[in-house]
Amino acid sequence: MAHDDVDIAEGVDHQVAMVMDLNKCIGCQTCTVACETLWTEREGTEYMYWNNVETRPGSGYPRDWEEKGGGWESEEHNQRSVGEIPSQQDYGEDWEFDHEGILKEGAEKALEPENVDPEWGPNWDEDQGAGEHPNSYHFYMPRICNHCTHPSCVEACPRKAIYKREEDGVVLVDQERCRGYRYCVEGCPYKKVYYNAVTKRSEKCVFCYPRIEGEGPDDEVHPPACADQCTTQLRLVGYLDDQDGPIYKLVEQYEVALPLHPEYSTSPNVYYIPPTAPPQHSEDGETVDVERIPRSYLEELFGEQVNDALDTIERERAKVERGGHSELMEILQDKNPAQQYRLEVFSDD
Amino acid sequence: MTEIVRGGRPLLVAGLLAGLLVASAALAPLIADARPAREIPVENVENSLADPGADGWGEVPAATVPLASAPSSVPNADDTTVREVEVEAARTDGKLFVRLRWADPSADRSASSPRAFADMAAIQFPVNATTQPAIAMGSERNLVNVWQWSATDTTQELLAGGPGTTTIFEQPAVSTESTRSDVGEGEGWSVVFARDLNASVDNRTALDADADLSVALGIWNGENSERAGQKAVSEWYYFPFGPDDGGAPFQTVLWAIAGAAIALVIVVTALSVRRTNEEGKL
Repeated sequence: MAHDDVDIAEGVDHQVAMVMDLNKCIGCQTCTVACETLWTEREGTEYMYWNNVETRPGSGYPRDWEEKGGGWESEEHNQRSVGEIPSQQDYGEDWEFDHEGILKEGAEKALEPENVDPEWGPNWDEDQGAGEHPNSYHFYMPRICNHCTHPSCVEACPRKAIYKREEDGVVLVDQERCRGYRYCVEGCPYKKVYYNAVTKRSEKCVFCYPRIEGEGPDDEVHPPACADQCTTQLRLVGYLDDQDGPIYKLVEQYEVALPLHPEYSTSPNVYYIPPTAPPQHSEDGETVDVERIPRSYLEELFGEQVNDALDTIERERAKVERGGHSELMEILQDKNPAQQYRLEVFSDD
Repeated sequence: MTEIVRGGRPLLVAGLLAGLLVASAALAPLIADARPAREIPVENVENSLADPGADGWGEVPAATVPLASAPSSVPNADDTTVREVEVEAARTDGKLFVRLRWADPSADRSASSPRAFADMAAIQFPVNATTQPAIAMGSERNLVNVWQWSATDTTQELLAGGPGTTTIFEQPAVSTESTRSDVGEGEGWSVVFARDLNASVDNRTALDADADLSVALGIWNGENSERAGQKAVSEWYYFPFGPDDGGAPFQTVLWAIAGAAIALVIVVTALSVRRTNEEGKL
């Protein structure tokens, strides 16, 4: 059943969405590799990760993307923040390794980049995090294009080459219309649009639309590859306006799945269950009642709503610990793929 | 004393007017030779001038065309750097050659990294040569045909019906050659665009029509991240392809002013001589 109260973009029938439970991410990069091999194993895409997993706190990918501008000045969506294009160094260079020589011909040398002396790259600061031992902390955050309800990349393109498609709100770059101006790269505050210097076009995550449409060799609907191949199955995929689906319940009903940087005002359709961690330890190793991941840092990422979300999760978890029943906890632990990936509920529309 | 002054004034006036008459007669031919505003002369030549360094370009008159930031809604649209472009045009029996030369100290030949933008230049014509479309890429009802050179060594022929509508011709009729050369006091680009006069098809500007042809120019400085609507552009100029009809209105106005000045000189001289004669009788 579709829900009329959900705020989806004008002209879009249903909004496809994803929820990622950060408490389950182990930083294995399986999603990154799944996406890389499916979509960005082509000339010009070597530096692109439509899906990446970054360590938080950290500089992310591209480096310091949160400081590069873009998005909207306010919820009214009438004034864009222009932003800047990250440099190649911010993304990281394309390193070349002598796999052939070392692995097949037995060359006795270290497997290390041969064309550059790397000073930065994706995940350069992996696992560093923040805080002091024994109370240091970090968590992993997978990121794809958010397929926003108010995409500032779409507004930024003077040719309307990037658009939000009607059937499910997936944001796509029309490769025929794009002329490589890169205003979309500037305009996206999440820096999830990339420039292909070989084709002279912009490219981005397509939410695996051929898979969710069932356009593959087996004619069956599949979730996006990053979700399908996730080791810990931390992603739920469905429609924001599917009232009976877990996405709707987590985002709209329980309000525990939150958009990243809501202050950019693009209204992302990728949501995160905020991370929790064991409490801090005292110097003599005793557990103390202080949260390991500072709420202030989570507020920077997810806004003040993260406090209510964490409180709700804690309350529901305690309910289960007391022997009670919690629909929220069931959704977060559900292992039924039919519930986790509800992609055919509107197929009869 | 008084009588001397009264008697000298008519002679002085007559002398000044005679001088003015002589000056007008001398200046009139110069005025007639002046190029009408916004005309870019086209020289008839025997041999191909596709090479920007060809000797033949030395014989072709140049027009200096001022440029200004294009009116556009893209960010930093007002931030452009090229202020003028030298334009020369030459025509053989079969081809039109247009050479653009402008100062640009940095050669940006690549768009091969996220922040790299190449230098570019473009020439815009109305598709329908009898019209003068909106200067910013024409309009839906009044299309423009654009020739675009990029320092990445690519040349595109485009069709546009308003900002953001440029579409590539699959088989461009235009070719380009470029070099770096001294322009004014510094380094810059020298680019020659060449096209067959009779390469016209639907939506491609006819160059062999017997009528003046509007033309506008655009330059992008890649070093300044100029692209799309962030570019330096001219107003509409024209190539005088039409029959010589006695000159443009600009010339007619100048001739009318010169004629009126001559007539005025004659009348005032006659009046002065007459008054002098009358005073002599007194």
